[in-house]
Amino acid sequence: MLRRVLAWIVAIVAGLVLGGASAWAALTLGVSSFRSHYGAWSLNRAAGSTAAGPYTRAIIARYGLLALSSREALYFNLDRDEHGQPLSESCIYDLTGNAIATRWWSVTLYANDSYLARNDDHAASVDATRISASDDGVWRARISSVQGDSVNWLSSRNARRGFSLTLRVYNPQRDFAPSEESLPKLTTVSCASAS
Amino acid sequence: MSGWGKYAVLALIVAVATHIVAIFATPTVLMDVAMQRLGAPSSHGDGWHLGERVTQNSRTIVRPAPDFAYSACVYDLSRGSYSIHVAPWRDYWSLSLYGANSDNFYVIDDREAHDGASIVLVRMGSAPPDHAQNVVFSATERGIAIIRRLAPTPDSYSDVRSITSADSCTGLGE
Repeated sequence: MLRRVLAWIVAIVAGLVLGGASAWAALTLGVSSFRSHYGAWSLNRAAGSTAAGPYTRAIIARYGLLALSSREALYFNLDRDEHGQPLSESCIYDLTGNAIATRWWSVTLYANDSYLARNDDHAASVDATRISASDDGVWRARISSVQGDSVNWLSSRNARRGFSLTLRVYNPQRDFAPSEESLPKLTTVSCASAS
Repeated sequence: MSGWGKYAVLALIVAVATHIVAIFATPTVLMDVAMQRLGAPSSHGDGWHLGERVTQNSRTIVRPAPDFAYSACVYDLSRGSYSIHVAPWRDYWSLSLYGANSDNFYVIDDREAHDGASIVLVRMGSAPPDHAQNVVFSATERGIAIIRRLAPTPDSYSDVRSITSADSCTGLGE
């Protein structure tokens, strides 16, 4: 009798674990299938949509709660360098871009816990109102743990390995067409060798 | 059914049910957490809460934008409709409404409402108050209203703080 009761309990617990794990896997692995890719950047056009299905809605809630709909803003994410490696605090990167056909844009650096990196550099983002660009609209931002002589700087100090960038495009113009060429390009400058 | 088959079937049924519940519950649970962090629903008076300027210590909402000043109002339409007013701002601003299921079901920004926005928020299926204008229906009873104002510098954030007294998010009662 006791053995049968235990067997039922084990079956229920196994089902709970399996169901929970499969849901977690669906959200973790499935996030990529809801994204469009433009070079290294990925965009989820379903963000904030009322038409989003249960999986999309759950993914958005987990990875972009309280995001705006794509009519108002587009959110692009980048978490790999040009070699497909996770972004790392031990590396120095350059982010280069042209004028974006939108009312306002920004690039923000998030640590691997999806919050701003714990440093007091006040350099978590660059945006259209503060970026220093050349006459032809080209701008370059340095991503590194120290500012050095860079004018536009995103601090990666304490962001550790696996940080990411979010490009926000607010009120994009009608002719805004995201592409690998129109979005900022990340280039690795150097990486500190592992000690 | 005999042997271990019935236990395997039970485990499978529980797994499928758990999977579905987890997927459907994720947005609601995370929104509940966000609503608790952003404050209790306001039934009277000014229900907006202007968040502190986003810094490395901000841990309320994931992936916060440090270039915005956020004001949030948690609403509960079981107590009746809400009157929401947003004062205009010199740069980009928007009012967005999120249901308890995380849907962003309404957005208005300064391009459409240059002089500010005033709406009456009503539970879907309920009659709006008499003479109410700019009625917006919410499919869920609870949710969050958020004002975003572009304020990328400490000075502009201070300027936002000085105008938020003109915002209101007020329960109109039964």
